[in-house]
Amino acid sequence: MSVMKKIEAIYNNRGDRARELHDAGEKIIGYFCCFVPEEIITALGMIPYRIQGSQTEAIDEADALLEPMACPFARSCFNKALKGEYKFLDGFVAPHSCDTIERMYHIWRANTPSPFNHFVNVPHMMGPSSDAFYKNELLYFVSCLEEFAGKKLEIEKLKDAVNLYNHRRAKLRELYELRKENPPRLSGTEITKLLVAGMGIPATEHIELIQEFMDEVRKRPIPEPDGLPRIFIWGNEIDDIAFIQLVEDCGAHVVIDDLCTGTRFFWEDAPKTDDPFDGLVQKYLGTHCPRSLSTQVGEREEDLENRFGYIRQFTADWSAEGAIFYIVRYCDTCELEGPDLKEYLAKQNLPVLMIEDDYSTSTIGQLRTRIQAFLEMMI
Amino acid sequence: MDTQSQVKTTAVKGTDTAREVRPMVKDIYKAAHEARENGKKVAYMMVASHYDEILRAMDIVPLPTENYAGLCAAKRDMDRFLLRAEADGYSQVLCSYARIGLGFDSLRKELGHIPEGSPDGGMPLPDMMIGSSAICDPRFKWYQATSRYLEAPTFSIDVVAPPPQADLNRVRDYYINYQKEQFQGLIEFCEKQTHTKMDKEKLWEAIRLGDKAWQLWYDIDRLRVAIPSPMPSQDHFSIMVAGHYYTGTQKAVDFYQKLYDEVKYKADNHIGVIKDEKYRILYGGGLPPWHTLWIFNYFESFGAVFAIENVYRGFDPVQVPSHVTDPVDFLAWRTWLRATAYHEKARQNSGNPTVEKLLGIIKDYAIDGVMFHACRSCRATTVGQTHIKTELGKYCDLPMMQLVSDMVDLRDYSEAQWKAQIGAFIDALEARTDQE
Amino acid sequence: MPFAGIDIGSTMTKVVITDEHENILASHIGPTGAEHRHLALRVMEDTIRHAELSFDALDFIVATGYGRINVPFSDKQITEITCHARGIRSLFPTARTIIDIGGQDSKGIKLDSQGKVADFVMNDKCAAGTGRFLEVIADTLGIDLEKMGEISLAAKGFVQISNMCTVFAEHEVTSRLAEGADVAQIAAGLHQAIAERVVNMTRRLGIEKDIVVTGGGAKNPGLIKAIEFQAGFAVLIPPEPFITGALGAALAGKDLFMRGIKPELPRKKEDVRFFS
Repeated sequence: MSVMKKIEAIYNNRGDRARELHDAGEKIIGYFCCFVPEEIITALGMIPYRIQGSQTEAIDEADALLEPMACPFARSCFNKALKGEYKFLDGFVAPHSCDTIERMYHIWRANTPSPFNHFVNVPHMMGPSSDAFYKNELLYFVSCLEEFAGKKLEIEKLKDAVNLYNHRRAKLRELYELRKENPPRLSGTEITKLLVAGMGIPATEHIELIQEFMDEVRKRPIPEPDGLPRIFIWGNEIDDIAFIQLVEDCGAHVVIDDLCTGTRFFWEDAPKTDDPFDGLVQKYLGTHCPRSLSTQVGEREEDLENRFGYIRQFTADWSAEGAIFYIVRYCDTCELEGPDLKEYLAKQNLPVLMIEDDYSTSTIGQLRTRIQAFLEMMI
Repeated sequence: MDTQSQVKTTAVKGTDTAREVRPMVKDIYKAAHEARENGKKVAYMMVASHYDEILRAMDIVPLPTENYAGLCAAKRDMDRFLLRAEADGYSQVLCSYARIGLGFDSLRKELGHIPEGSPDGGMPLPDMMIGSSAICDPRFKWYQATSRYLEAPTFSIDVVAPPPQADLNRVRDYYINYQKEQFQGLIEFCEKQTHTKMDKEKLWEAIRLGDKAWQLWYDIDRLRVAIPSPMPSQDHFSIMVAGHYYTGTQKAVDFYQKLYDEVKYKADNHIGVIKDEKYRILYGGGLPPWHTLWIFNYFESFGAVFAIENVYRGFDPVQVPSHVTDPVDFLAWRTWLRATAYHEKARQNSGNPTVEKLLGIIKDYAIDGVMFHACRSCRATTVGQTHIKTELGKYCDLPMMQLVSDMVDLRDYSEAQWKAQIGAFIDALEARTDQE
Repeated sequence: MPFAGIDIGSTMTKVVITDEHENILASHIGPTGAEHRHLALRVMEDTIRHAELSFDALDFIVATGYGRINVPFSDKQITEITCHARGIRSLFPTARTIIDIGGQDSKGIKLDSQGKVADFVMNDKCAAGTGRFLEVIADTLGIDLEKMGEISLAAKGFVQISNMCTVFAEHEVTSRLAEGADVAQIAAGLHQAIAERVVNMTRRLGIEKDIVVTGGGAKNPGLIKAIEFQAGFAVLIPPEPFITGALGAALAGKDLFMRGIKPELPRKKEDVRFFS
């Protein structure tokens, strides 16, 4: 089987591997977003599973329990849970990413509880006191999870887990290096499949897949220059290929991203610290999500640079010629952040297309005209 | 072309004291304008962030931007601000309070002055902007976006609350400690802006006044258990002005004392809001429809009075342990105790603190039915309403309804639909009475 | 050298044939819609006949509009945004802002000094601000859609319609009627509501003069008046607003041809394949 076939098999049947492991007696801990350290779960001998929604399945059962003005990604995840698709989860962990995830934790827990349920509070502010608070929250999480696992966390095992995940991060960064080629030998669609597939399998297995895929890509012939625009994507949860595939179908290369399902979760390593929790705090609270507020620095221009400088680095290093924002509707912090980022990128002469969408493949087709017109504009 | 004359949005009030609120609202903005002229510092701020007393102690004049949005809606002068924010790229589903604030500041920037005819003279430019993560996400993020339109140092604090299942003994210390450090950070920020050290005695004084007003407010709400109802929810949405925008001042204390006397007199003498009180309704949650507050009178026309509500309420009084002697510690403790007041009850029963609070209210206030208001652009007060409604239904058998619109954006409101829903709700109340 | 553009919109299919000097040789409009699926090719053939040409005599055919994706006989498909801009650039070289009000969506387009698309906005998810909205409401008011513009012009003042959700607005109109409001004033209010929405959407781009209103909505004098009122300045209207997209498509084809891009001949003379 070709490596892409393997990746697609996992991508298309997302819960299967976790279900298999669960049936074999492993403990699967489901979690949301980029604020629950997988290292802790792994160090306690359990398997982290990043909960996903489905852009292709209609949200029906959840509507009776969760208001339609909530984030459709969250509603979709909950809808799957209500349909029993997350029965294999031995644990359910939600971080306080945003209002909706926080509310949904309680609703989820009341309707489809897992044997273990936990809420990790995450500060919205940044600074030393926030670090200390989050560290305490992690220690509390560990003590609850220890009780569930029936064993104590060994610091050496945690350090090993940090190394394991840093290794995966390094592999993904290495893969992203290949996207710098013009035209790239791998598509954004393929990358999305690989990233999403990785959410539902143990990290060791994901690392093998990444390596295998990377080896395969390196053997691909160098394509002729095609003059197609190179696109940077910014937004929140894109755990389906539909949107990125649409952008590429319209005639573009998606080459770099700042997404919860992309660089946001893996770009930075957890630094090695004497107390591994300090490194975890640094890594996870450093996540570039609009739900975290960086302390104001100087006047507006300086502040924007402080907030978005890393994006400038991305767009410059990957030679992006245009930016598309894909905001899953009802995300207040993204909706507030978008216009600021647009202003910042416009100053660097990067055209921006801002799209607000419903996290559903049934409406994605309607975006074709907008995307195509945007790409025509750049020619 | 002329549009039709200003539509009536406000409700007929039940108490006389509530009628004194309107000048107090005007004074908020007047005081802010005067402060700017007199060299005092003015801060854009978020009410119910538990930091009000700090601002009072530091002589910083609070300018509650969310509430300005509510005022614009009550004056039906929101569209130009909403549309402006949307033209600037803000989503039509973003918090409409924030959209009004951003639209107002954007228009002001373009014009070089406060947009003509802005309700109550508009908001003056702030010297600083202070957000908070209490209650919802836009409240800490909005002012960062506002920096597009005006230059003012911006600061925000976290306000944290543990989930009801947390082992409170295990997490208490670090929650309180973080809260304290957040307040401490805010104090340092304010000291930098005002070039004055905070006087702890002044903070104690503001806390004393704040707690006294909130105790009176709580006592007033307790009087409202009386049948017939002496004070309806539409009054609450006015009289909350003293508790939320005048926290830590003598003015709030005096106001609530006066209101207490009036409500007590009405309760003692069985003077009800309406002549023939048939049904007592609980406003279960969601921001009020500022654009259409007369809807409460519409309910009253069927004999249904809103006896009590669960939004913009004062927190129940809490007992901070006597070993706490520092005012900043006190604020941190108070925040913690307020946030966890119903946790123990929740653990023993439904698992949900809001459900517990509402069950208590339903019993104490002899409630016949519950109404919720879902706001299209407010995640924090809307997401979870359906869940709470379902959970409540497991513990009590009352007709419940959910009206949908928005706190200020009229485009999400349909009068015809509301009237039809209210009709069905009244029918359900009636059917229930017939059964008994 | 003849070039053709075919614009397959939600209700109408438009075809324009031009020469290399941007003169219109022929144009033709026919219905689209579910029951008229097989008419696109016929509209194309009719126009070719009018121009006294043959299919393969066309040097380039560009398809645009929402049905552009599956036009077997076209040489390229380009979005209606780019095509409208191209068509308007030919008609009004000074235009900087275009407002296009179509049957199912509305768009704002900003042009740079060369007449190229600099930015655009689109409303395509909700009927508000589109021809569809007026159609529904005209029905509620019991008046002819075509006459609605004229009727509204007779009104002194307008009734404020605050709901832009089509379903809610229908309710609102019904209750205003029940209150005895004047039909003309309601019609005027609806045009104001749509204009406000569309103008505000276009404000995201920063409105610059000259402003051109095109698409089916440009044929409604009531709506034009409301747009001018909301925007605060006069707008330009193409002589035949329906066909600017098709015109632009033909001209975009000409541009490609002049850059040396040649079509693959012979073309497949099959009808449009609509997604079911």
